[in-house]
Amino acid sequence: MFVSAPHRRLGRDLDPAALAALAAVAERTRPIAASQTRLLPVLPPLAGLLPDRALRRGTTLTVGRPGDDGSLSIALALVAGASGSGSWCALVGHPGLGAVAAVDLGIDLDRLAVLPRPGVAWAEATAAVLEGVDLVVLCPPFPPRPAMARRLVARARERRAVLIVVPGRAGWPEPPDLRLQVDDVAWEGVDAGEGHLRQRRMTVTVAGRRSAARPTRHHLWLPAADGTVADGAVADGAVAGAGAGAGGH
Amino acid sequence: MEQSPVPVPVQGGTDVDRLLVVHCPELLLEDEGGAMLRTFAEVIAAVETYCPWVTAVRPGICSLPSRGPARYFGGEGALVELVQAAACGVSPSEVGVADGLFAAVLAARRGLIVPAGGTPGFLAPLPVSILGQRDLAGLLARLGIRTLGEFAALSDADVIGRFGADGTHAHRVASGRSGEQADLRQPRTARLLAGEPAEDLPVVAEPGFWGGVSDADARAARCLSAAQDLLGPDGVVTVRLQGGRGPVERARFVTWTTGGQPQGNASSAGAGAPWPGQIPAPAPAVVHPDPVRADLADGRGEPVRVSSRGLLTAAPDRLSVEGGPWEPLSGWAGPWPADERWWSRSRRRGARLQAVTPRCAHLLVAERGHWWVEATYG
Repeated sequence: MFVSAPHRRLGRDLDPAALAALAAVAERTRPIAASQTRLLPVLPPLAGLLPDRALRRGTTLTVGRPGDDGSLSIALALVAGASGSGSWCALVGHPGLGAVAAVDLGIDLDRLAVLPRPGVAWAEATAAVLEGVDLVVLCPPFPPRPAMARRLVARARERRAVLIVVPGRAGWPEPPDLRLQVDDVAWEGVDAGEGHLRQRRMTVTVAGRRSAARPTRHHLWLPAADGTVADGAVADGAVAGAGAGAGGH
Repeated sequence: MEQSPVPVPVQGGTDVDRLLVVHCPELLLEDEGGAMLRTFAEVIAAVETYCPWVTAVRPGICSLPSRGPARYFGGEGALVELVQAAACGVSPSEVGVADGLFAAVLAARRGLIVPAGGTPGFLAPLPVSILGQRDLAGLLARLGIRTLGEFAALSDADVIGRFGADGTHAHRVASGRSGEQADLRQPRTARLLAGEPAEDLPVVAEPGFWGGVSDADARAARCLSAAQDLLGPDGVVTVRLQGGRGPVERARFVTWTTGGQPQGNASSAGAGAPWPGQIPAPAPAVVHPDPVRADLADGRGEPVRVSSRGLLTAAPDRLSVEGGPWEPLSGWAGPWPADERWWSRSRRRGARLQAVTPRCAHLLVAERGHWWVEATYG
């Protein structure tokens, strides 16, 4: 009854399989010297968390687990390095971005698009922005169906974008290339009525596939006292020199 | 979040129908195999139980004249509720009413009923790019015209002289005098739904527009336009910083437009300047767009309040958010003065407080005799 028109479909996509094949060929034929273009930079204190010391284009990361404090901060910190060097970023599904915190981390608001309440069209909207934005932070407003999640992961791979999922309560059914999890957080600076929130020390566990199969643990100041991110490594119980404010813009 | 549009009477004669539009975001493609189209046919059948004159505009979008049915069902609000319930029974749908198809589609995406005669005011703040005419939008951008309202304000004679016939029609759409935006209707859809061959009719491409600076900007602009087609113009926003004491006051969200390309710095004047009473850095990563109720109690469980001099009546000991379980505070700081109410315009003295629980650190604000979670250091 219904006429299918595979060559005249509405929408912007080419055949995904053809696109993926094309991307694979392009990747193989790329000169080795240009391999850096496969990576997007991160702020120096975060390099140690990532197997490539940068974000690899085409990969998907998840940050946090239900109820985790600090997940959005990590996601924002992860995109800040690339944002500061000219990449476009998008935040999908989070209606309450703290813009000052984002700027303090080094995110360029001129190249940040926010899709605060995408509603039922969230997956389609995410797929649309993955077409032309280097890094997408996704907070799914509803639990994603596995096929939906797979499609978005595939879209990120085809478009050589980085998809950072903050699953929150909705969850994320697809195993990511890299999983970051916040284990402990501790705030410094406040007592009973004295001072003000100064900095937060957190432990982040990173696990993934291939070269990152073995989980590693890292300590960060996020936010550090100046709103950036800093290495929070502790030597013999004492805070190492890379304490407050050592994070770079 | 939605502001009710200011009704502006339409000048001169119009032949614009009052239309109700049903927008099904999951059915906007003419997919292979026709599964989406079949679901869309079910949506139309469901809506037709209330009104027999449903027109398939394009995949995922159908319209019906609302005057008659609204009178019969006791008003547009009642009609919208009935139609929405019927359509959502099949597929997630949004429903809106406005004068003319173009405005009605935009109203549906935002779930709005634009009052009769209010369509020009509803359209006025929207970006010109929403017309889907790339060349025209580029031309207008160079003239400094960014919104439909600014475009509509041009005289008919100027528009004919500069923009030709297509521009004149777009001008009529922008000013609410015509509802028929070019390429909005896709006649194929009705033909396919009727089970007739439609190979001779073209698939009309989604309108797109970009006016980027670099290749990357152009690519981003294209995909953000596509996202706006999907979510409505307010579905994609950018952030600007401004001065203010609290995190809510310091950020301003504005609808993304291709015209709003990088200006070097997204901050406006005063953004970096110290503000009296400003909460010290670092800033919270999450700023709650809607007020979240909180209760704060002292060691004996008595509510902690702010005195008329801006001081706390007792030392806070525990916190409950949105009626949830009490959580002990491991630390707190403040109060800082807060003169502005952050979700209303009237002014009153309040106070801000930082409160740390085992799970979270929050920025609380006392207003109207209650505590609210304004932001979370998430």
